[in-house]
Amino acid sequence: MGVSQEVHLGEKSMSEAAQLDVERDLDLGWMDRRGEWEIQARPSKNGLTLADIQIGDYGDPPVVSENQTGVPRGAAKRDGSYRIGAYGVRTKSEIWLDNASFLYEEALQRQWSSATDIPWHTIEPLPDDIEQAQCAMDTFLTEVEFVAGDVPARWVARTTPDFFEARNVLLCQVMDESRHMDVFRKRALANGGGLMCATGGTAGVVGSIDHSRDFTEMSSRLHISGEGAVLTIFRLGELMAYNDAEKAIYRLCAQDEARHVAFGVMHMRYMAETAPERHEEIHCYLDEAERGILSGSQNPAGQFTQTSESMAILLGGGKANFDEGRNRLIAIRKRQLQEYIKRVKSAGFGDRFENGRSQVPELLAEIAA
Amino acid sequence: MAKQDAKAAAAKPAKAQSATGKPTKKAAQLKQVAQPKQAAKGKQAAKPKQKERAQAKSSSQRVEDVSGGGTNLLTAVPEPKYDWMNKSRQWGVRVKPGKKGLTLGSLNVGIYGEVPTDWPDQSRNPRGAIPRHGMPPVGYAVRDKAAMWADGAADLYEEAIQRRWAPATDVPWDSIEPLADDVEHAVCQVCTELCQYANVDIEAISSWQHQMAYGYHEVKQYLATATFDAARHYEAFRKRALYNGGGLGLEGPGEVNRMIIESYGGWTETVAYLFLLRGTFTMTMLRYLERFAHNDAERYIYARVIEDKARHLAYGIEHLQYSIAHIQHQAGVLATVLFVGDRIFARDLRDPVLREALAIIFGNGIEGARATGLDTWDAMMRDFMSSLQETCAWLGIPRSAAGMPEAMRRYLPPDAAAEAASADIPEAAQAAAR
Ligand SMILES: [Fe+2]
Ligand SMILES: [Fe+2]
Repeated sequence: MGVSQEVHLGEKSMSEAAQLDVERDLDLGWMDRRGEWEIQARPSKNGLTLADIQIGDYGDPPVVSENQTGVPRGAAKRDGSYRIGAYGVRTKSEIWLDNASFLYEEALQRQWSSATDIPWHTIEPLPDDIEQAQCAMDTFLTEVEFVAGDVPARWVARTTPDFFEARNVLLCQVMDESRHMDVFRKRALANGGGLMCATGGTAGVVGSIDHSRDFTEMSSRLHISGEGAVLTIFRLGELMAYNDAEKAIYRLCAQDEARHVAFGVMHMRYMAETAPERHEEIHCYLDEAERGILSGSQNPAGQFTQTSESMAILLGGGKANFDEGRNRLIAIRKRQLQEYIKRVKSAGFGDRFENGRSQVPELLAEIAA
Repeated sequence: MAKQDAKAAAAKPAKAQSATGKPTKKAAQLKQVAQPKQAAKGKQAAKPKQKERAQAKSSSQRVEDVSGGGTNLLTAVPEPKYDWMNKSRQWGVRVKPGKKGLTLGSLNVGIYGEVPTDWPDQSRNPRGAIPRHGMPPVGYAVRDKAAMWADGAADLYEEAIQRRWAPATDVPWDSIEPLADDVEHAVCQVCTELCQYANVDIEAISSWQHQMAYGYHEVKQYLATATFDAARHYEAFRKRALYNGGGLGLEGPGEVNRMIIESYGGWTETVAYLFLLRGTFTMTMLRYLERFAHNDAERYIYARVIEDKARHLAYGIEHLQYSIAHIQHQAGVLATVLFVGDRIFARDLRDPVLREALAIIFGNGIEGARATGLDTWDAMMRDFMSSLQETCAWLGIPRSAAGMPEAMRRYLPPDAAAEAASADIPEAAQAAAR
């Protein structure tokens, strides 16, 4: 760099306390206070990504963040700054994941509009039972989608900006969920139906996603268990779709959900690798998640009849074909459980399926039987 | 369930059925479709044997089939009761896409468009659905419409989605050429402070959003776009700082940041500080930065951030307007809030770092800063104060030049300064400032 000699003020005290009477004077003391210099980030094949600017000091998030003022990571600090952050999440293992930059950039590239990217004109009147089933599902999804908006948002505010890559991914998730909440409301009101009964599927009970006091606890419930189950359904959405609009909705939502689930899996993997002392605790969260994997009302393919019956109607092609729909519903449950096992293994907690701790293999065996 | 043509339902909810009580034409059509074509999907017709097989079984057999003897309630699917069917507060809605597609605002038809003045329900019951009673609350604390509403929120939400951009690929990064050291340093310093501004946007908004009642989903959804924008701003300014041989500079002075973060008495107060005061300042600064940008990459970033910020300001101003119209004495409260805010804002202004960095950019170097850059800063500040005062006047928030710190008053237009100098300082404002 090299600030020119004529303005280099050497040992002059830092300028933040200075009050220049005549504002035509230049202090310029701030030019001596800066982060690592001579940085030249260069774009990679996907443009200038977050990964491309993780260089030098700037690419190195602290294991424990002391940042309580909100200073951008790598910038020079002011001694007198207010500690306004009150960040509860300051330990890297609590929230970090190795591919946050990738997930963030992908989220930006894959944003879509429920207003203009869904071919709404392909929706034609449907038989009443099918429209009702669709609207019941839409009501449920309009209700639950934004739990994954409200909750990540709250955690963002509690997390030090030293982990801004992870925070930015969560902010993309809030955006995605906002769109999911509205695309299902749009579908419910687009074809001669309407909203039906709310399920209370995200009520504030102990062990709910809303009320988790630890980020990883929340993430295991939200990303791994809850969104994992919904991702399987969206991926198989074609089986429940009656027109290109619905197919597009499920496909685009699945794309988004895949990123959300990936966040959870990658975070848990990082946690497994860097905080072995928390293994048992994480297993307890998974125990809890598995207890509700088919019961409760958060998994629409589970035991809650409003959503499971709706799904069976959509999958079978009407009430008259409920049995066929039921078989497909069970096939979806099977797929949900298989994918859940895969994710938990990938996250580094697969031992629970070998040592008998998890009931999921048993559930799978029963379904197969 | 009463069926009705959706458009008609939207416009005339009282005429859900024809005057004779017979279903409307559209409802009859729906029924017609429903009866002969139960198996609407091709695949159903193609698999009659499978269907017949399934129908031939008794219900108990079916449960056995799927549950391995009916012993496990988790894997079984019981006989359907369909007790959720035929339950809707308003059925027969068919909203069609308009020229901007199927927008969030266009869904506000019939009961779905009824936005009550308070929303005591603390569940995620979607507006217009039949609530499920007896569920423990999620914990939404902000439940009055006047505490968050802005009429344009739904449209701003859709606009934000249409105008999305990605700094990684949309910014012409290769247009950045090496700059003089002092100019590069100044750009990096400004980017550092703009990162911090974006950080405050993120933290302030996301600490409120989850507290807002579900019935006002348009606002919650719009705010999701606002934090998404801010995440992108944080990213874009950091990328610019690390691109051209510089780095991040010195942390900002942070008095205004603290004021925004600590304004958690009410969202409207946060809006006044974040969107009105800081937002108007940032907007003005970005317009000057765009004018004095050194390359297309910077010009592009500033132009797109200005677009995003314009939506934030629009929401903020519309919300303040709504709040003033619906809450008694609210204009006076906001006058006090700003009276205090002005003082804190002025304290940040005492810090020379941002002023000098901007002057260097405007003057294209340190010498240029002395020659013209500081004058441009003054012009920028005059623009900022004019915008702020105009907005406050439009909102009906009383402002007194006499009560304004000198660091801001000096930038008021001469006539406004003279006129306002005679105004009384609200007593509450003086007390709050003390
Ligand atoms: Fe979602
Ligand atoms: Fe999600």
